[in-house]
Amino acid sequence: MPAVLRVERLTKSYGSSRGIVDVTFDVAEGEVFGFLGSNGAGKTTTIRLLLDLIRPTSGRVEVLGLEPSREGVELRRRVGYVPGDLRLYERMTGLELLRYFARLRGMIGLGDTAELVDRFEAEIHRPIRALSKGNRQKLGLVQAFMHRPGLLILDEPTLGLDPLVQQTFNELLRGVTADGRTVFLSSHMLGEVQRVADRVAVVREGRITLLETVETLRTRAFMRVEVTFAAPPAADAFAGLGGIRELRRQGASVLFAVEGPVDPLVKALALHRVLTIEAREADLEDVFLSLYRLEDAPHVG
Amino acid sequence: MLGSVFAKTLRDLRRGFLWWSVGLVGMAALMVSVYPAVRGNAALNKLVQDYPTALKGFFGFGGELDYTSPSGYLGIELFSLVVPLLLLIAAIAAGSSAIAGEEDRGTLELLLSLPISRPRVVLEKFSALVVESTALGLVLWLSLWVGARAVGMHIAAARLAAATAGAVALAVAYGAIALLVGCATGRRGLAIGLTAAAAVAAYLVNSLAPLVTSLESAQKLSPFYHYAAGNPLRTGLAPGHFLILVAIAAVAAAAAALVVRRRDLVV
Repeated sequence: MPAVLRVERLTKSYGSSRGIVDVTFDVAEGEVFGFLGSNGAGKTTTIRLLLDLIRPTSGRVEVLGLEPSREGVELRRRVGYVPGDLRLYERMTGLELLRYFARLRGMIGLGDTAELVDRFEAEIHRPIRALSKGNRQKLGLVQAFMHRPGLLILDEPTLGLDPLVQQTFNELLRGVTADGRTVFLSSHMLGEVQRVADRVAVVREGRITLLETVETLRTRAFMRVEVTFAAPPAADAFAGLGGIRELRRQGASVLFAVEGPVDPLVKALALHRVLTIEAREADLEDVFLSLYRLEDAPHVG
Repeated sequence: MLGSVFAKTLRDLRRGFLWWSVGLVGMAALMVSVYPAVRGNAALNKLVQDYPTALKGFFGFGGELDYTSPSGYLGIELFSLVVPLLLLIAAIAAGSSAIAGEEDRGTLELLLSLPISRPRVVLEKFSALVVESTALGLVLWLSLWVGARAVGMHIAAARLAAATAGAVALAVAYGAIALLVGCATGRRGLAIGLTAAAAVAAYLVNSLAPLVTSLESAQKLSPFYHYAAGNPLRTGLAPGHFLILVAIAAVAAAAAALVVRRRDLVV
């Protein structure tokens, strides 16, 4: 599939440590690409470079086959954007704002606005200064989606939205990708991204530290099994079992991490009197945290 | 062709425009209504003539010091300082908020994420500034003309228009400079401060030049000199001087559109 976003050794240096270094990734058409990192990791800097809001120190960017610095206007015509720090015109009503943006986009009419406003139950008749964070964010989403852009660049789009609206948003994303359109989704919450993304990149201190399909990450996920014994088992009772690690012991209760088949653990447990077993499918959060810890190790020393 | 940014900027300026108009009309009415008491009062004229030369440079407009004549009175009371001051404040406010103001408030990011080029945004906003300043000039001109007729003050509408046009051109020039500083730095406070400081300096240079020989050559660099030169209230528009002001505005606005292209959005 053709690449909708092509980023090559992109670097943006600010005097201080902020900025990004050698960021490289591609996003294919129809893909939801998760861009994960904590605040200040470089997500927003990368996004602003994509839209020609700031200029790179070095490296190359191509968005929908266009170069931001030379073809910014055409590029932005085909992109929908929700900024991480969404600021709207306080004196306008939501409807006035959407009309203004529609005109600037050269749209005839308001595109999908009515449908989007309905779906999000967005408040469009009151002045924006009177709106809550969540209601402002809804307007941010409506203006990004209203012209059916081929690429959506969303920087922390669900910030301030309640869970129900987040669900509406996730459904909207599914519809978008069903149309073969592409989503670049930045977030600091893995949970948000793993539900919708095909691939994730993790950015830390301005560098990409992990770039993987969600599928692969899932296979690296492990199951957690919590077993309560009648009596505390010997300390080395479960040592040397393939793919099995003890995560925690609390009296007669042991929490195992199981990578791969659970069979060796089951066989080993059979030698003990077991009161309860609770097994949980791990989510990406666990993989992620364990990767993060590995990454952290050299820094911590 | 002007578009939505122009229209929205005008809309945003509307509320301020109303208050500026009220102020200008009130000021014009007040000054003109006092004129009948001044007219033919030779003692007042003597008083003005006896002022030290140092002061005359400040309150004379285009060298006119005949306080009892319509043009002298309006020049000294309004056009030497108060009119340019008010129009400049309005224009600098508009120029500094055009780009830097939106940047300060954070709304520029979303605006620039739309399919519109930065120079275009700058030029549409500058056009709105020109329209606002011109409209304020019209309000001033109209209220002065109506007022003058009401009190039997004999001054031609064209002469009033010439002086007002000069003040508008001066204001637009400084508005464009504020726009330029804002475009270059993204900081509204800096745009206001630097432009106001430049205006005060230019005003002082022009006013002190008759006294200080070392300033004589610098005087012609001051936009305030070109604003008053030839005394438009008495002799009508001085096209050369007027065009210099227009050129300053045009160059500053064009430079603003160019510098903002090269710059990173301030975040």
